[in-house]
Amino acid sequence: MAATVSLFDDEFLKKLEYLSILSKRLFAGQLKAERRAMRRGTGLEFADYRQYVAGDDFRHLDWKAYLRLNKLILRLFEEEEDLPIYMFVDASQSMSYGNPTKFDYARRVAAALCYIGLSNLDRVNVVAYANKVKGELQPQRGKGRIFRVFRFLEEITTSGETNARESFKTYCTETRRRGLCVVISDFFDTSGFQSGLDILRHFKHDIFILHIASHEEVDPALKGELVLVDSENNVSREVTVTPSLLASYKAEYHRFCTEIESYCSKYQLGYVRTVTDFPFEELVLKVFRQGRFLK
Amino acid sequence: MRFLALTGLQAALLALITAGAIVALYFLKLRHRRMVIASSMLWGRVLDERQAQSLWEKLRRLISILAAVVIGLLIALAIARPEIHWLTGGGERTLLVLDTSPSMLARTSDGMTRWEHAVAAALKTVNAAAPSSEFRVADTAGRIDAAPTTDRREIREAIERMKPISGMSSFPEKDPQTVHVHFITDGVVPLAMPRGTIRESVFEEAENVAITAFEIRSTASSALAYEAYLEVHNYGKQDREVRLTIAGPGGQHIERALNLKAGGEFGGPFDLSKFEGGGIRATIQAGGDALSLDDTAFAYLPINRTAKTLLVTNGNPYLEALLRLDSLVDVTVIKPEKYQPDPSFDAYIFDGFAPANAPPRPTLFIGETPNTTWLPQTKGTLSKPRFATWSEDHPVMRYVSLHDVALERAGRIENINMQVLAESADHAPLILASEEKQRPRWVLTAFSLKNSDFPLHSGFPLFIDNALGWLSRESLALRRQPGVISVPLAQAEIKGLNGERLGSYSQGETTMFEAAEPGLYVATHEDSRQYVAVNLASAQYSNVNKTVSTKDRPAAVTAGWMEQELWFYMIGAAALLLVFEWFTYHRGITV
Repeated sequence: MAATVSLFDDEFLKKLEYLSILSKRLFAGQLKAERRAMRRGTGLEFADYRQYVAGDDFRHLDWKAYLRLNKLILRLFEEEEDLPIYMFVDASQSMSYGNPTKFDYARRVAAALCYIGLSNLDRVNVVAYANKVKGELQPQRGKGRIFRVFRFLEEITTSGETNARESFKTYCTETRRRGLCVVISDFFDTSGFQSGLDILRHFKHDIFILHIASHEEVDPALKGELVLVDSENNVSREVTVTPSLLASYKAEYHRFCTEIESYCSKYQLGYVRTVTDFPFEELVLKVFRQGRFLK
Repeated sequence: MRFLALTGLQAALLALITAGAIVALYFLKLRHRRMVIASSMLWGRVLDERQAQSLWEKLRRLISILAAVVIGLLIALAIARPEIHWLTGGGERTLLVLDTSPSMLARTSDGMTRWEHAVAAALKTVNAAAPSSEFRVADTAGRIDAAPTTDRREIREAIERMKPISGMSSFPEKDPQTVHVHFITDGVVPLAMPRGTIRESVFEEAENVAITAFEIRSTASSALAYEAYLEVHNYGKQDREVRLTIAGPGGQHIERALNLKAGGEFGGPFDLSKFEGGGIRATIQAGGDALSLDDTAFAYLPINRTAKTLLVTNGNPYLEALLRLDSLVDVTVIKPEKYQPDPSFDAYIFDGFAPANAPPRPTLFIGETPNTTWLPQTKGTLSKPRFATWSEDHPVMRYVSLHDVALERAGRIENINMQVLAESADHAPLILASEEKQRPRWVLTAFSLKNSDFPLHSGFPLFIDNALGWLSRESLALRRQPGVISVPLAQAEIKGLNGERLGSYSQGETTMFEAAEPGLYVATHEDSRQYVAVNLASAQYSNVNKTVSTKDRPAAVTAGWMEQELWFYMIGAAALLLVFEWFTYHRGITV
């Protein structure tokens, strides 16, 4: 498989291992994979007492307290549960643009984050979407599952337009557990990037945005008489690219990025923007430094 | 508007094809390149916003194609050589006359000469005229009168062939087809011009000190003693210090400092008795002199040498005594019966004798001579004739007075096909001279010395000296002005002072050559030789400030603003538009 060789080769795996070690060192002292949930459960850590009510597991009754107080007191323990990580990878046609393509870059970053998540015993879900959910990898846990993630990522292809709203809506109504949603996309969504993210916010997910752009988008080397063809919907448009038009485009692109950034800032979402020739391992570290990815 | 290179139909077709081709090429050029981009979402926003806001965006393409079409049309129409009458005039004939008098060589304050200004003005007039305008270019010397033509190269060549030269000046006749007459002049030589002539002036006041006369002549005391007569004029507006030098071939020279007031003159004789024979040069030096042509003058001083003379006589004490006293005559006296033609003599004097055949050298015949086939026939005698008239201009008769000369008798000569130097009251020739081309010169007196008291008169030694001088000695140089010079010597070779050969052509019994500058020239043919001293020596030409053109408009500003044909400006405009289009295209202002 050529894609396997190019995307997740030995070099990539070495970098993943390095990132994994580095992430542990960087976040030593912070809470690790065993995350305590707010609700009480069957963990080992004592949390509180309460009156026994019918139906409670009497194995947790504090018999010593019963002897002393003649009351049935139930010992409560903190529930220990893993963090669901939902890795939304934009697989629309626009992601196949750039050199390297945004999609390849997104897959590498997604794979790296998944690996770190799996290493931390988090429950990792990978979702490929465009105008709908194109594919979904069932929740994985444990480092050994990384190859399933790789295989999934390798198998998905880009096509279609972006419609995050429909995709996220479909996915979130089926999946109820709240978690960390990492959205890796170029956000070229004709219905607006906000509508998709609003859905995730509605379901109370913690959201982290990875905005991927290619140099050709940020600083296009276009000139003269052109027919610009939209890769997603094949809509073409005649244009004479002049320096002033290029300047207008760049200003528009900057405004677009600022809008996303402002949105994230407004709703306290994590946001990192990158271009495809930026080393992905450095991007992953940058994500760690934001402190949102790992809790 | 009309077109000189193409017909109107051809020009229209060319314009149409060009415009069509450009529009076609323009749309070919506009075939857009397909470029797949990730999303047109942002581009769409930008384009919608720009197109909605800017009229220029809508006009830009139109302006671009218009610029391309205009460039193409300008080039296409330039090829057709358009002419717009209201803009350039044209189709009319102009007589363009340049004053070629020597005063046009006077320098102006900018270092150029009036002539250079005139040529520049003429070229300007030609260049500014419409392409179809005909020009007939002529000078006032009558040397160049080019046929009317529209060919600018021919016109320019004709103008450039012209040069100032002295001689008769006249205004060329205006032909009926001529509409305009332009005359570029300094006005120093006034000429009658046709009515309506536009006179353009290249006159500018100038300082000029000139030699207006320089000649060598024999003194009254002796035909073999010479003096130079020289005149210098200051035609400028300021007093001048002038250094005059007269230099001879043997290193002899006379120098004199002259102080000439404005308008002042100097004139006087200079004794050349110490000078060796040959070319004599007179020069004046005055700072800031505008015309150099009249600062030098030349003359020829005959070389004095002993004339070997054979006197054939039965005895004539007057003549023998006179010739023996003359230091420049080496006389040999023989009897008529001893006479043998001997070309080693420079001259013969036959006293009452004439050989059967013409002598090989110039001869002076004195007295009634027996009739021969080669001399004028004597038929009868004149009794007591008196000299009534004589030609004082002839070198033989110079300073010779025949008043009161009494003659007892003289031979009646009837053949009058020769020059009569003196004659009686009834027009009988008494002294004759012959100057035929094929034969040596001779002088003949129809009377003998024995039958007259002429030897007792003061004119007698002068007459003999003059006659021997004319017969055997070098003559004085001809005096001419720069220009085309005619020498009375057939098929002569012309050389300059330094021996350089000049081009010449023979016309009948004369040889013509052109001397542009003052100098001493020598024409030779077999044994004959004639010196020609060429000097401007003209008060009219040297007086460079005397003009009739003071109120004429200056020639330099008469040309119009268009100095090139219309096509030149059209190509220029096309080039400018091309640069503009290139700049705006690369700047993305136009498409």
